[in-house]
Amino acid sequence: MQILTQLVFSGIALGMIYAVIAFGYQLTFATSDTLNFGQGDALMLGAMVGLSLVGLGVNYWLMIPIVCVFGALQGAFVERIGVRPAIKIKSEFGWIMSTIALGIIFKNVAENLWGRDDLKFPSPLPEAPLHFLGANVLPMEILVIVGAVGMMLAVEFFNRKTIYGKAVVATFNDRDAAKLMGINTGLVITFSYALSSMSAAFAGVLIAPLTLTGATMGAVLGLKAFAVAIIGGLTSGMGIILGGIILGVAETTTGFYLSTGYKDVPGLVLLLIVLAVKPAGLFGKSAIKKV
Amino acid sequence: MKNAKQIIAAVVAIAALFLFPQATGNPYYIHLVETIMIYAIVLFGLDIVVGYTGQVSLGHAGLFGIGAYTAGVLIMKLGAPVYVTLPAAIAVTAAFGAILALPALRVTGPYLAMVTLAFGTIIQILINEMTFLTEGPMGITLTKPELFGHLLDETEYYWLVAVMLLLSLVFVHRVLRSHLGRAFEALRGSPVASDCMGVSVYQYKVYAFVISAGLAGLAGALYAYSEQYISPNTYNFEQTVLFLLAIIMGGRKTRTGALLGATIIVMLPKLLDDLQMFRYVSVILAIIVAVSAGVALKRGKATLQAAMIPVVGSIALAGLSFKLETMTDWRLSVFGLITLFVVYYLQDGIVGFVRNALNLRGHAASDADIASAMTPTGDALSRAGGDAGGNLLEAKGILMQFGGLKALNNVDITVKRGTIHGLIGPNGSGKSTMMNVLTGIYVPTAGTVSFAGTAQAGRTSSEIALSGIARTFQNVQLFGEMSALQNVMVGLHHSFKSNLADVALHLPRYLRENRDTSVRAMGLLRFVGLAELAGEEARNLPYGKQRLLEIARALALDPQLLLLDEPAAGLTAPDIKELLAIIQKIREHGVTVILIEHHMDVVMSLCDTVSVLDFGQKIAEGLPAEVQANEKVIEAYLGGQAS
Repeated sequence: MQILTQLVFSGIALGMIYAVIAFGYQLTFATSDTLNFGQGDALMLGAMVGLSLVGLGVNYWLMIPIVCVFGALQGAFVERIGVRPAIKIKSEFGWIMSTIALGIIFKNVAENLWGRDDLKFPSPLPEAPLHFLGANVLPMEILVIVGAVGMMLAVEFFNRKTIYGKAVVATFNDRDAAKLMGINTGLVITFSYALSSMSAAFAGVLIAPLTLTGATMGAVLGLKAFAVAIIGGLTSGMGIILGGIILGVAETTTGFYLSTGYKDVPGLVLLLIVLAVKPAGLFGKSAIKKV
Repeated sequence: MKNAKQIIAAVVAIAALFLFPQATGNPYYIHLVETIMIYAIVLFGLDIVVGYTGQVSLGHAGLFGIGAYTAGVLIMKLGAPVYVTLPAAIAVTAAFGAILALPALRVTGPYLAMVTLAFGTIIQILINEMTFLTEGPMGITLTKPELFGHLLDETEYYWLVAVMLLLSLVFVHRVLRSHLGRAFEALRGSPVASDCMGVSVYQYKVYAFVISAGLAGLAGALYAYSEQYISPNTYNFEQTVLFLLAIIMGGRKTRTGALLGATIIVMLPKLLDDLQMFRYVSVILAIIVAVSAGVALKRGKATLQAAMIPVVGSIALAGLSFKLETMTDWRLSVFGLITLFVVYYLQDGIVGFVRNALNLRGHAASDADIASAMTPTGDALSRAGGDAGGNLLEAKGILMQFGGLKALNNVDITVKRGTIHGLIGPNGSGKSTMMNVLTGIYVPTAGTVSFAGTAQAGRTSSEIALSGIARTFQNVQLFGEMSALQNVMVGLHHSFKSNLADVALHLPRYLRENRDTSVRAMGLLRFVGLAELAGEEARNLPYGKQRLLEIARALALDPQLLLLDEPAAGLTAPDIKELLAIIQKIREHGVTVILIEHHMDVVMSLCDTVSVLDFGQKIAEGLPAEVQANEKVIEAYLGGQAS
């Protein structure tokens, strides 16, 4: 029982990371119907840059905003190079391939800059576990949960309460109409990519102290977060938190009771099943096809 | 004459391929060409999914791996001979292809890309973890196969691979030029229209994935023998992206493109190993890009910003190549950059680019020439059976609800056989929704539709289409990249009874059916006056002609009932006159017509009965003249007095 509580708790922490990455997918999908297939690599870059900054002697807490700025710039770069030309020529194949290509480039650059081995990210909080409901819980896990929820709330608040946020929401509802109302939709899309990569980079520095940091850390995370985004619905807000928790717990328990080698399998299988059965997601609304 | 030339070229190419090992004698080069051939087999298959059905598959490295491991495991555990392992690899991988296609029932585009990516990742994990079967990360070592008691050496195995390549080439080529290939291409052009032409989108997607996977499986098994060692890490994400890069770079929808793409992805890493060579190539590339960007700027074809991106990119690449000591570590970045370049500047691939530059005609155009040269036999338009006067279609109490909106509210419509039934009403009154309900695109919230005495509930669009309801679309839904003739031949898909074997072996049944449908398709084009444009791509036709082509395609289904959704929209006055004559002739052939139209003169001159919809309700029905005089109808169109 004690072990199970512990697994559930780490599952929740992991799930919140998935939720943050999935949140990033939702942001760009909302404004432009596109996704960054290199979202996992954005996360990895965030963690790597964070690691280097900490290595240079920057305080962990001070490092976070710098990484966020870096993430935002990286996202804007991806949008300008990979997505905007594809939107212009209305090529779905185009943005899928170009975000994949950019992801590969980022990963390869990271491999060459930081090496191919996994590195240890120093934990900013004490590594001695706390006792909670009879289970051992790492303080870092609590930070992950608090940080992830805080991040999502901040962006939601921005979207709902500020005039810039309204522009984002308007672009989501009807891109052409928003454009006619004088909203620079191109800029809004760039901005959504910046926000999206920023949340991924932030998730990267949150998760890094709990796992190992390496160039290949992003790929599978990005894919499983997509599963979460689908479960939660690409267009519906907070279903992803529940989706993240389901997946996170499924994974930690599989890893413990079956084999760590198989820990990625439930997420991927879940993705296949949800897409085969209810592609609009468990919480999403299916759109009506117009002919 | 042209044919003879082609045959000679093919014979020379095949001879060169088979004599290559003798000519070089260098095992390294023999193995290199062998790898190219194996990759080409994968790419033939991948092209079916990516080029023809237009889906992005990121799972083909996984399928390739399944083929390799099927062969590897069979050899390791059972000592199976090559004539067992190759068919087994094809069968097992094809089965996995079918599983992979299951989610394709519901999703397309980025969703499907993610599904296939997840599939590929799962396969890699399973190969790694199921050590009892696959030896896990250790990998499996095997030898070259034995054939008729003789262990093949490197050269002999090369010949085996070459034979397999040729067989795959012929197979894929024949399949893709048959009705199956047209069905695949139609899916990409317009899924809705495919279903309404009786080509079930789901069925043919699965078909495409299965054939594609089978080829990947064959290639995987050949690869296992070729390398004599297989391990899980070969079949990873990078491999998948490499395959995709090869397809788009070589050129979609051509076999030459696949061969070219395979050569590029095999040779490129070798090129990167040779740094000196790479430096030269990258400098030359940068110069070419800079010059062509300059030309584009001068002709005003590109903005400064758009032209600068590739120039800066290629110069940076060249600069980088001088800076770095070794390129091998940056291999993937180079692939990434090339992918970006190809996606935006070379969309039709190298083959497509050359074709455009030289203005070569594709096979679609020459097919059209051949079809028009054949002598027409009988009437292209089939006569609809049944006795006139009875009810052909009865829709009762149709309710179609989208959320809170009732697009159709308790509408009854009865259409008599052999008549032209008009359906009119202001915009947004539910006319097109009615069409979609009748053709099974929407499932009504309540109400029943019965056609020729059978209830339509639970039938899919393609089943409804095959039972005799054909339609056109308000916003034209042609298969844009296909020729006019091919569009009509998709409509004639139902007249093919040939299976995969008939097609692959060109058995008499397929040849006969193919000839007959070509002739009929040509006849239908003649009927709507498009015979001269048979070889033209549908997207290049003027708007009015596109509408006529849609009618020809719908008639190809041999329908009992034809639904025409605003056929006269956007047509000029002389075109409309032509259209009237066509619709009259269709009626003379006993085909019942439902006509949605805003041109009142068209409606009044053609229709036997007219129903009027307004806000989802039927407000009037009767003879055209009666309806025209009806108060409610006038009010709906012109607005009533404020009450």
